[in-house]
Amino acid sequence: MAALTECCLLSELLAAPRPAEWEVLRRSAEARLQAQELPTLKDEDWKYTDLKALRETAFTPGVSAEVGIAENILPEAVGTRLVFVNGHFAPRLSNTSALPPGVRMLPLATASAAAVSLGALATPESSDIFANLNHARFTDGAYLFVPKNVRVEAPLHVLFLSHQEGAAATCSLPRLLVVLERGAQAQIVEEYLGRGQYLTNAVVEVHLHENANLTHERVQRESKDAIHITTLAARVDRGARYVSRTLSLGARLSRQTPKVRMAEEGAELELHGLALLDQDQVADTHSLIDHLVPHCSSRQLHKTIVDGRSRGIFNGKIFVHPGAQQTDAQQQARSLLLSEHARVDAKPELEIYADDVKCAHGAAIGQLDPEELFYLQSRGLNLETARNLLTYGFAAELLAAIPVLSLRRQLRRAVMARTNASELEVLA
Amino acid sequence: MSSPLQQVTSQEYKYGFVTDIESESAPPGLSEDTIRMISAKKGEPEWLLEYRLKAYRHWLTMIEPEWAHVKYQKPDFQKIVYYSAPKPKEAKYKSLDEVDPELLRTFEKLGVPMDERKALAGVAVDVVFDSVSVTTTYKERLGAIGVIFCSLSEAVHEHPELVKKYLGSVVPYADNFYAALNSAVFTDGSFVFIPKGVTCPMDLSTYFRINNKDSGQFERTLIVAEEGASVSYLEGCTAPQFDTNQLHAAVVELVTLDDASIKYSTVQNWYAGDKDGKGGIFNFVTKRGLCKGRNSKISWTQVETGSAITWKYPSCLLVGEGSIGEFYSVALTNHKQQADTGTKMIHIGRNTKSTIISKGISAGDSSNSYRGLVKVQPKADGARNFSQCDSMLIGQKCSANTFPYIEVQNKSAKVEHEATTSKIGEEQLFYFQQRGIPMEDAISMIINGFCKDVFRELPMEFAVEATNLLSLKLEGSVG
Repeated sequence: MAALTECCLLSELLAAPRPAEWEVLRRSAEARLQAQELPTLKDEDWKYTDLKALRETAFTPGVSAEVGIAENILPEAVGTRLVFVNGHFAPRLSNTSALPPGVRMLPLATASAAAVSLGALATPESSDIFANLNHARFTDGAYLFVPKNVRVEAPLHVLFLSHQEGAAATCSLPRLLVVLERGAQAQIVEEYLGRGQYLTNAVVEVHLHENANLTHERVQRESKDAIHITTLAARVDRGARYVSRTLSLGARLSRQTPKVRMAEEGAELELHGLALLDQDQVADTHSLIDHLVPHCSSRQLHKTIVDGRSRGIFNGKIFVHPGAQQTDAQQQARSLLLSEHARVDAKPELEIYADDVKCAHGAAIGQLDPEELFYLQSRGLNLETARNLLTYGFAAELLAAIPVLSLRRQLRRAVMARTNASELEVLA
Repeated sequence: MSSPLQQVTSQEYKYGFVTDIESESAPPGLSEDTIRMISAKKGEPEWLLEYRLKAYRHWLTMIEPEWAHVKYQKPDFQKIVYYSAPKPKEAKYKSLDEVDPELLRTFEKLGVPMDERKALAGVAVDVVFDSVSVTTTYKERLGAIGVIFCSLSEAVHEHPELVKKYLGSVVPYADNFYAALNSAVFTDGSFVFIPKGVTCPMDLSTYFRINNKDSGQFERTLIVAEEGASVSYLEGCTAPQFDTNQLHAAVVELVTLDDASIKYSTVQNWYAGDKDGKGGIFNFVTKRGLCKGRNSKISWTQVETGSAITWKYPSCLLVGEGSIGEFYSVALTNHKQQADTGTKMIHIGRNTKSTIISKGISAGDSSNSYRGLVKVQPKADGARNFSQCDSMLIGQKCSANTFPYIEVQNKSAKVEHEATTSKIGEEQLFYFQQRGIPMEDAISMIINGFCKDVFRELPMEFAVEATNLLSLKLEGSVG
């Protein structure tokens, strides 16, 4: 197949027949796509991220494939797992036998369209071409629903696998919709893995009703040839608490666009991220925390480690709307530059329209502290071990809070391997 | 909190008078003819006219920028008067006595220390009225040690080699929309040259004033400090009250060679429009310093209180090894004012350092944005930046925004940015009042404390003026 130009990427996907379900959502997205083009470096939101790799690759829609997931099974989530391969539901790999009564965890294709408000949170982002592309042609996705006052102990594990078969790069458009009713409580692990050259363009929607409580681990371990783009749209209602951690380890080019609306008073948010990059990887995080009402609090810590010729990009905006008094918002972006040719671009933004607020942001870009290195050396560690230990420590801060033990161990090992700190395995 | 301050009564703009003197103006509109006319009026050499025309032709191809966080009706460039000079009663002023007494009274009102009495303050002043430099004091004393301080038009005639060498070397004519416009139509401005090894014995100062209703002010300042030289330069600005918007598009270029330093301080109090946002100056200014030599230093200090729209990013290109860039800013907006201001620190050479301290205060319906860029290029080993951007909000209708861009391409660089947003604490106010300090004074003291890091960078008389200016501007809007 000839290389697809940017228009071809869209037209190819749109040429496929429009699936019957969710027609309204698909149609409106298609209409918006007519007027859109792939962003370039001239677009402020894509100033630092070049989509050349996406433009120059021909993608064909992914088909389901046989893959093994033995090493990706979380023991805590044996009976609460949904698996999708190339965007299609894989019933043989999934197991939802351990769900508590009333809790739903199923592929969207089998959910009743009338009962599920898909796209309610993500469609206001109509200017986002990638979200629109997903709306228009998503194949399938996971629907997680926890009813009123139910507390799910086991983590709900959603695994999106991509598997390139044959020569052509594949493309999958998965979705995830999470709804926690009033007072519900859950932990979710959303994971992306794959092999070969492909594009994942996902849309994730999270709605936490009053007093709901969700811990959401988002693990991106795509293949090093993959392109990964995710739009996350979340809404946090009165007194609800949302903790989201995004770990970007894989993909040649990845882009995370979390947008969280603090929609009712007393909502709480922790929106954290870690990008661990080497070689030619590019990871871009564009977050928006929208404080619409008074008395909400948000905390954001974003960490980036760049090695090789990699590039880390962070653009985090905190928006405090008129009247959102007593907002307490804090944002920290910290980056570690490990190599001569790595690069970090940070743009932490505050836009504030209310006077009685506490908002702060900080961004720091630098290297390991020579004094810390000296201290470790004075304790008998050689320079390299000291360096690896500190690099690992920089990254591990975010892992420590992951409540799912097996996942925490897995990720610690992955980070250790990446920071050459494997000899520290004893710490895991 | 109930207080007498709740009533939003604004302090009238005290510099809002018009001086009734005859001026000689070009008809409104911009074309190559206008530019030729300006150039001819000033008797400029051919190369400068060519430079202007080149800039004009390039400007025609450019689009007015829209990325700033401000909203306004774009100026009609064909309605602006590009040249307005106080009509001389004689061909040229030889001493202050020959200057139109009306004009002198204007400056007296402004408190510009121009006459002998005030000269005791030790400030040499170049005054630019609309577009033409009116008078420069202290020239001879400065001349004795080789310091050149004169209007740019004079410099074009008397020191053409210097002007030719440095004009446009920091802000090229194609740099941006307003810089291109300025390069085409600039009328006058100040020129300062500090020769090798000389420390300028006094602060140099320029006072800018727009007097004509439809005129734009397009001044151009060029300051060069040779090896080991240093100078402190002050700039003040005012304009009368008109209910139309006037455009001010200036370009300031600074160059420091090895071990030289330039300290550039501005108190900008252009007319900001009335409290409903009618009238006021559009202040679209390009200011940039080039730290060309090793260990050179450029320090910008600005107190921005005026203008309807401010669009201004005094920047430093840190090329010389070990060079230092500094930016200290207080930006105050009230009523409908909008400011999008900040700085750019471009680290090019090794071991370059920069500091950014920005304090934004927004009140009324205003919008106040900090926009800054810290860029560390691949060769800038050991580059170091510290930025602190604090905002204070007074009232519920204003906004405070922070848009810092940080781009690091060198692993030995260290860049830190911090920003906070807060309001005047009720507890702080309570504490003051409990000690018998009235609310107004308490607020003024808290705000002065908030801005202290910037004010202490200002030369003495400017610091006093800035402090007063802030209290005046905020009078009645805090509560």
